[in-house]
Amino acid sequence: MSFRLPVKPRRLSRLPENARPAGVLLWLACLMILLGGCAGSPALQQATYRLPQHVELENVPFYPQEKYQCGPAALATALNYSPADLPADTHRPGSFAAGVLEADTVKAGAFKADNLKTGNLEVDRPSADSSRADSPGADSPGADSPGADTATPAGSVRDTDITAQSLVSEVFLPGREGSVQPEMLATARRHQRIAYPIRPTFDALLGHVAAGDPVIVMQNLSLPAWPMWHYAVVIGYDLPDETLIMRSGEIRRHTLSFGRFDATWQRSQRWGLVLAEPGRIPDGVTARRAVDAISSYESLHGSGAALSSWRALTRAQPRNAMAYFGLGNASFHQEQPQNAIQAFRRAVGIDEELGVAWLNLGLVYRQQDKTARARRALEKAAALPGDWQAKARSALDSL
Amino acid sequence: MLHLRRHVAILLIAVFTLGSLHAAAAQTAGLVSTESALQADTASSDRQRINDVLARADVQDQLLAQGVSVDQVKDRVAALSDAEARQMADRLDAMPAGSGVVGALFAVFVILLVTDILGLTSVFPFTR
Repeated sequence: MSFRLPVKPRRLSRLPENARPAGVLLWLACLMILLGGCAGSPALQQATYRLPQHVELENVPFYPQEKYQCGPAALATALNYSPADLPADTHRPGSFAAGVLEADTVKAGAFKADNLKTGNLEVDRPSADSSRADSPGADSPGADSPGADTATPAGSVRDTDITAQSLVSEVFLPGREGSVQPEMLATARRHQRIAYPIRPTFDALLGHVAAGDPVIVMQNLSLPAWPMWHYAVVIGYDLPDETLIMRSGEIRRHTLSFGRFDATWQRSQRWGLVLAEPGRIPDGVTARRAVDAISSYESLHGSGAALSSWRALTRAQPRNAMAYFGLGNASFHQEQPQNAIQAFRRAVGIDEELGVAWLNLGLVYRQQDKTARARRALEKAAALPGDWQAKARSALDSL
Repeated sequence: MLHLRRHVAILLIAVFTLGSLHAAAAQTAGLVSTESALQADTASSDRQRINDVLARADVQDQLLAQGVSVDQVKDRVAALSDAEARQMADRLDAMPAGSGVVGALFAVFVILLVTDILGLTSVFPFTR
């Protein structure tokens, strides 16, 4: 604030009348450009320009938000749409932007680096099970309890009337007058949808919309100093016009330039979400995020509900060793040990260093009384340095 | 409170130890679950599991404090993955809560109008 307006009143008085507000405005503008960066259009990959020039998923319904409740509204909008509703004339490209597909061929080694970087520490399941075990008993016997959702096997029942209002009690935090991101994912899960966070790039956003998946995004409409966090659903875009089309707040068809949207989106680290029913993998989700999302779904609904998704993931990403690992575990828990063995063998075929898959392969063989094979697999696991070495050794000793 | 947590932790250690014995005896063959295979640190998985249960208890308390109804809170916590529960336990207060377009202060209004015109923000629907 280095204006010295009061100090030199005589000079100022000679200036035209509206010079002062104009100056203030100019100064603010400069400051904001410095603070906020340039609001130019985001740079897109070449592959993105090969997407259909104009996409609009017109059949995505609209649930206008009521006071503070954009989270429930955005979720209701996305949950009440499935790509089967896609109009026939909408162009559906065969392939996703090239850069997105490359990320699918991630080896398990990269998973861990990714994990460490994001501080995303996963833990054993039993703890969650124990906290969950007491919930059915403690539930009030009310018929409208959403516990009923989690009890139904995934995919068997589609809730038909999810409204923004019905989701308020599941995702809205009265004390915060808003909804937080983890609960957005969790609520989708409760309604038999797997929530896949997207890669935080503009190319990925457009790719998902082009592939027929509306994307729930989080924006900060305001400046970092006075945040105004908002969830909206991107349903289309126009590449030549550089315009996005969204269901947002109280506006059914909100259009926004790429540049303005990206300025508001980057403040949430470009957070976005696509939903899919079990058994379908949205085009363009990355290997790591897909495995995480299905694994979280499995924790809530059980291996039977996740099996079809694991199978679909191995088909969509045949080089994803962890997808086969997940398929192996789910198959085993569904009492299909032969399928489990096959899946674990595929996993180690893709990534020979995946000690945990060797370990589980050995344990299934052991359970099937195939001691020689169990020994061979466990020896592999015990020879690989890493987290599972100790467990593999003790399993070997007990053979 | 600290005292209570310690008791709970001791109880949990006992439960998990007994639980794992039972699991070994059962037909599960003790396979490593997909979710635990995704975790980076397994060195102290028992401690992690305890922290996890405590994190869920924490989240439940916080949600109740934020006005979530008692009959909803268990289902909401149960739907979270372990990683999400931990995130929420650690920093729910700092987490952005999406609430949409709500009124801003007048001083802020002017600034935001300017930034809206510049295309840096998107507060007012009439600026395109």
